[in-house]
Amino acid sequence: MSFFDLQGTLKPLTALKQFGKKPHTLKDIPWKKREASDNYRGLHFNDIDECIGCGNCSTICQNAAIDMIHLEGVEGKKGDSGLRPRVDNGRCCWCALCVEVCPTGSLSLTKDYIYVTEDPDAFLWTPGISNPDGEERKSYVSTHELSLNHFNRIPMPELEGKERIKSFAEVVLGYNEEQAREEASRCISCGICTEVCPDHMHIPEYINAIAAGDDKEAVKIIYDNNPLPEMCGKVCTRRCEDVCAIATRGDSVAIRWLKRYATETAATADITHEIVNPEIREANGKTVGIIGAGPSGLTAAYYLALRGYDVTIYEASAKAGGATMYGIPKYRLPIESLEKQIGYIQSIGVKIKFNTKVGKDISFKEIYDKYDSVFMGVGFPDAWPLGVDGDDAEGSMQAFRYLYMINSGEKVDIGDKVVVVGGGNVAIDAARVSRRFGAEVTILYRRRVEDMPADWEEIEGAEDEGIHIIPQGIPTKIHKDEKGHVKAIEYLKAEMVADDKGGRPRPVAIEGSETVLEATAVMAAIGQMGDYSFLPKEFEEKITIERGRFVVNEKQQTGDPKVFAGGDAVNRTADAISAIADGFRACKAIDEYLSGK
Amino acid sequence: MKEIKDKMIAQINAAFPEAVNKAYDGNRLDFTVHKDAIPGFLSHMKDQLGFRHLSHIAYVDWIEENEFELVYLLWSPTDKVKLFVHTRIDRENPVMHNIDMIWRQANTYQREIKEMLGIDFPDMVAPDEFILEDWDDIPPFRRDFDTLEYVNRTFWHRPGREDAQDVRETISKRSGEEIPDFAKKYSR
Repeated sequence: MSFFDLQGTLKPLTALKQFGKKPHTLKDIPWKKREASDNYRGLHFNDIDECIGCGNCSTICQNAAIDMIHLEGVEGKKGDSGLRPRVDNGRCCWCALCVEVCPTGSLSLTKDYIYVTEDPDAFLWTPGISNPDGEERKSYVSTHELSLNHFNRIPMPELEGKERIKSFAEVVLGYNEEQAREEASRCISCGICTEVCPDHMHIPEYINAIAAGDDKEAVKIIYDNNPLPEMCGKVCTRRCEDVCAIATRGDSVAIRWLKRYATETAATADITHEIVNPEIREANGKTVGIIGAGPSGLTAAYYLALRGYDVTIYEASAKAGGATMYGIPKYRLPIESLEKQIGYIQSIGVKIKFNTKVGKDISFKEIYDKYDSVFMGVGFPDAWPLGVDGDDAEGSMQAFRYLYMINSGEKVDIGDKVVVVGGGNVAIDAARVSRRFGAEVTILYRRRVEDMPADWEEIEGAEDEGIHIIPQGIPTKIHKDEKGHVKAIEYLKAEMVADDKGGRPRPVAIEGSETVLEATAVMAAIGQMGDYSFLPKEFEEKITIERGRFVVNEKQQTGDPKVFAGGDAVNRTADAISAIADGFRACKAIDEYLSGK
Repeated sequence: MKEIKDKMIAQINAAFPEAVNKAYDGNRLDFTVHKDAIPGFLSHMKDQLGFRHLSHIAYVDWIEENEFELVYLLWSPTDKVKLFVHTRIDRENPVMHNIDMIWRQANTYQREIKEMLGIDFPDMVAPDEFILEDWDDIPPFRRDFDTLEYVNRTFWHRPGREDAQDVRETISKRSGEEIPDFAKKYSR
């Protein structure tokens, strides 16, 4: 190209042909402030209140730019790790993967890309704290379409409502392998769930093992602190799922169903033994006596036996499992499943003396003297009566007793119109069992359906099976026929009144709203209580009972250092997993007590 | 649009019976051809069927199948039809035909692919380096390249980040959960 390149000199002048045409550039510059595009990926913003500190942003960052840190004024609580992300802007490449994996959607990128400071080292940026006004400048936000999280749960195959009421066949059919792997891979492994699990099971670890196709490892991890995991896999109250990070914007990971899937891969007690391959310590010559073969007693027994203790359980009934054996209908927890798990516990050396009621077949004192330590997992064997007029009629019973008799194989005459009073799982269980015996069933509950303490799936299941629920009804009287048999139940309609003290709304009966409902049987499911008559007077001073429960310290130890207690007769949550947690804690404490460590 | 597409599909099938068509809605056409057929296929598309423009060459690392995939994205400005041409390349012997004599801009795309994925284009004339300088690791867009490990090895951590906490550890410490060692390999 020479200096006098004529073409090169004249070519630019062709631009003049655009003269006078409408420009494509923005008109208002420099008067109007330039705005970045609508999904611009600039500096981070985090909604500190919405964030739960799961740390998924920090894990995904391929530049190791995000730290999880404690912030002043942000406390850890159930469902929140208490940590918040901080970004090293010197490392960030604005790829926005952190936003795309954020389960809550609290993290976003803003339109801001200019940040001026006199400190050349000021690269550490706590989104939301460093830019409190960033909320208004958000541009790249995690929508459901954009998010890389899978918010929808793999549906659990179930029997249809009409099929269900024909038999006691298990309603939930369980995941197959493909479904389980897919569901397991929805978990982001933050571990926030582990804190609310009373037993602190290692949830992210066993779910990851399932996702990786390693079911045996999953079973091993599960058995680390829960010896009745298949039972939990079927009927646990699963508070873990309430705080699942994915549940902030979608369906929680099906933690319970995944546990069920893993444990069911061990089809028999022998296979379970082979997979768990427990390390049983040499016998240490010390003995522990346990009262009650419910979840807490079985748990304490299993882990004590692993630690080399000689353990004997005294069980009043013909079968072990306590409330999980006798209180839960078989369509939720088949007997074979529970017997397999108990069989495995026995296989490692736990002895169970069945049909031996303490206080009748053997005295508490005898057990106390015979063993180096005693654990009481005696549960709540009695149920509250309804306490209304006519309660003594034939056909008026406690739902818990009814379930016990049915599960023991006894026949109970309930007629064809059953009314269950209550709103917890026991009420629903009794109703659904009655339905399976062909009765028309009505549940009468004092509050609203949404206030029912029962699992929502159970409530839905009951409705599917044709059970009628009457909410806001307070029973006042049971009518008898001339033979003294239940004829009807009378109740008052209630209105919900806001509680002044900030509690949940209270039902208040509406005067003159008496309604009579025909019935052949009335079942009260309004709570259970303990029976401590087996405890001799001489122990009353040390082993104290307050408000119907044993008083224990944080190690499950009663006032008598040799005696420990757990399960429904101790904790207020009254579910199987809390009982298991009590048993596990007691095992560690008894080990400490007897080994002197 | 449907007639135009059907006509094109018939023409392509006639000229390249081995090319596999996949149906898509809208103005998208999609064919998979053998890698050795690519230069002939593309120049035919350009010269005979009006796909005058090469928009991009996309690439995928199918590590599980031990293959790379290249997708040539073509555009016909007259018929307003886009054509995706897929081909697979052995991951063990990643060599591909150069097409920059058909479209000059392919030279730039191929330089990127060579550097980021490690596919060689033996008869392409271009400088060795594209964006990465003095790169001595495996190509960084391969899926077996561990970006995080590379970052931690290469860049120092800024002072002031020592207070970083592990979420799982924070929670287990607070609740008193004891995670057994054999389970820790499944922790995040």
